[in-house]
Amino acid sequence: MKVDLAIAGQGTVTPAGVGVDALFLGTPKPHMTATLGEPKREFPVLRVDLKDAVFARWQNEPRLRRVSPITFFMVEAAAQALTGMPAGDRAQTGLIVALSAGCLLYSRRFFEGILKNGRRAASPALFPETVFNSPGSHVASVLGLNGAVYALCGDESAWVGALKTAAVWLKRGRVRQVIVMGVEEFDPLALDAYRCARWVRRSGFLASEGAAALLVRTARPDDSLVISEAHETPPYRSSAEARFAAAELFTGIDELVPCHRSARNTWAESLEADATEGRPEFSAAPPPYLGLAFTASAAWETIRAARTLDAPRGLVPIWGLNHRFGRLDLTRR
Amino acid sequence: MSADRQPRVVVTGVGAVTPLGPTFPESWAALVAGRAADAPVPPEIFDTTGCRAQRACSARLPELPGLTRKALSRLSRASRLALPAAREALAQAGLMDRDGRCTRADLAISVSTTAGGMAFGENFCRDVIFARRAHLYSQVERYLPQQQVLDLQQDLAVSGPSVVMANACASGANAIGHAADMIFAGETDCVLAGGFEALCELVFVGFDCLQATTTEKCRPFDLKRSGLMIGEAGAFLVLESRASAEARGATILAELAGYGHSTDFFHLTQPQPTGGVLVEVMRAALREAKLEPAQIGYINAHGTATPVNDGAEAMAYRALLGGSDATTRISSTKAAIGHTLGAAGAVEALFAIAALRTGDLPPQLNLQEPIPELAGALVGPNEKRADLRHVMSVNLGFGGSNAALVFSR
Repeated sequence: MKVDLAIAGQGTVTPAGVGVDALFLGTPKPHMTATLGEPKREFPVLRVDLKDAVFARWQNEPRLRRVSPITFFMVEAAAQALTGMPAGDRAQTGLIVALSAGCLLYSRRFFEGILKNGRRAASPALFPETVFNSPGSHVASVLGLNGAVYALCGDESAWVGALKTAAVWLKRGRVRQVIVMGVEEFDPLALDAYRCARWVRRSGFLASEGAAALLVRTARPDDSLVISEAHETPPYRSSAEARFAAAELFTGIDELVPCHRSARNTWAESLEADATEGRPEFSAAPPPYLGLAFTASAAWETIRAARTLDAPRGLVPIWGLNHRFGRLDLTRR
Repeated sequence: MSADRQPRVVVTGVGAVTPLGPTFPESWAALVAGRAADAPVPPEIFDTTGCRAQRACSARLPELPGLTRKALSRLSRASRLALPAAREALAQAGLMDRDGRCTRADLAISVSTTAGGMAFGENFCRDVIFARRAHLYSQVERYLPQQQVLDLQQDLAVSGPSVVMANACASGANAIGHAADMIFAGETDCVLAGGFEALCELVFVGFDCLQATTTEKCRPFDLKRSGLMIGEAGAFLVLESRASAEARGATILAELAGYGHSTDFFHLTQPQPTGGVLVEVMRAALREAKLEPAQIGYINAHGTATPVNDGAEAMAYRALLGGSDATTRISSTKAAIGHTLGAAGAVEALFAIAALRTGDLPPQLNLQEPIPELAGALVGPNEKRADLRHVMSVNLGFGGSNAALVFSR
């Protein structure tokens, strides 16, 4: 789908720090974290430092008193992306949030409370915060974004869907600009899932968390960088279907168009290597590894690609690990 | 694109599995007959020991011809609700071949849910917390909402774009509205849009601990309303551009004439008491449809039967429609099928369309003392209105999600 989105603002929260520059600083030191199922089994995990001073400005917001880290990640990243925008313009700004696991921490705590303490002791404070769209609602409220708010679920490809949705909103005139976010929070329950999936056995794999925000609007002729296309492959369930989808991702695209590789340390890495063989990379040195944080990772890679592209066109594959793959085309004018 | 050059979006097929029946016609017939589906939560779904509320509206899972027992065992309850509803909608639209596959391989899907295949996630969490060794990746992998979309895509043999909307209880209306937006924006000319939600322990206990569920009857818009009844459903409609529908000779059931949506920041779980944001959302949908409020003959209201929701919603209808001389008829079908959460916007849109086509109005069940704002506007038993030209379906959700859809003949 042709989307023609100009990037008017960016923001990130990563385990390497806060702000877009943190995407290029280096891989932070992982924390050894135990699984829930077997507390003696520990694996390295990349975590966002919520004690970072930048988060202090959100701690006293009345609306954010009970929220889980995912909302703090989001509000900080979105605020960075909105830097410089007059408050009046925010009324015409929509928010689209792409999530995979969503509010995992409170969901696990809530259900664990039911299992351990009984249904009668279930927490009414936690339950509303388990809902997928709660963080987006908090963020829009705190930042005064009066356009519509959507929460979209999926694997990493939901990030592509979120950008397409933003393009649809803009074409329909529903908003003037849109904050599009990818965000995930870590919970030890995720480690149990990654262990079941054998992802933690993969050399170099690190579970991670964080957020990224792009402020996008319809591109104008004088915009120097544009997300010109957003593409989703057919879905897959088997490895054969995944191979087919990976090959389809680049079908018909000149092999000289460079590609931003991003499937590092996931099962899609070999698919990416095969599908992009011979294709030039954006930059000679790969950016630091920030671990797997699903939609947040997809958003980080998009920002990295946008920052490093020095060719007229570049491709950003988005390797959805649970449904389908996607591709964003960047055009420099 | 100027308004007069925009494609018109029409409905060519509907399908639903609800607590009132395994198909949409059966559900509709039971609804207008005044039946309600509340019953104790079946123990095979989950145990309600310790909860205040013990009842919900559960659906009987339909057969799924063509699927092996093994394939069925891998499906979440959510997919067992979604697949038959989607098949039914596509069949009515004339988009299914003899082998049960969609004739549009590029069919786009816009769906909504709040919990996906949560029962699988609960099982995984339970096994992990109690350190059972049996927990399986297939359980946690398949609880994610995109896996129900993948189930749909595999079953129907389609691979077009897909969106999973998770805007709480307004999601279903958002999924339909977004599907129309996709067509308006030229991304596609045909979308399977709808929602699904299966009963699950986490959500049931969640509403129960908020004391939002009733321990007696679900009584929307009644002075003695005491809370909602959780339900489950799968509901889909086929939306396409009028040009596409006419080109293939499809029967047009209704036109999706307007969509409005916004976010109410009053409180995470409570609407603004005056219903002000909802009024703006309904006005936006009416503007898009180029209609005045009085032209809406019937509103399928959100009407959860919680004290806070229904009070604010009634204020909004009063503000939009005016006082006692308003002729618009209103009912909440949640008294019959429960609150189907992520499916609510979809299944209730289908009920609104059926009212538009048949003139039968779903009665407001369990009504004893109507709240004054809507006294006289709530649909009574066996009401018919043959002159319906336009109807509206309204939904609100946690997070302040508000959405309204206008359907026209």
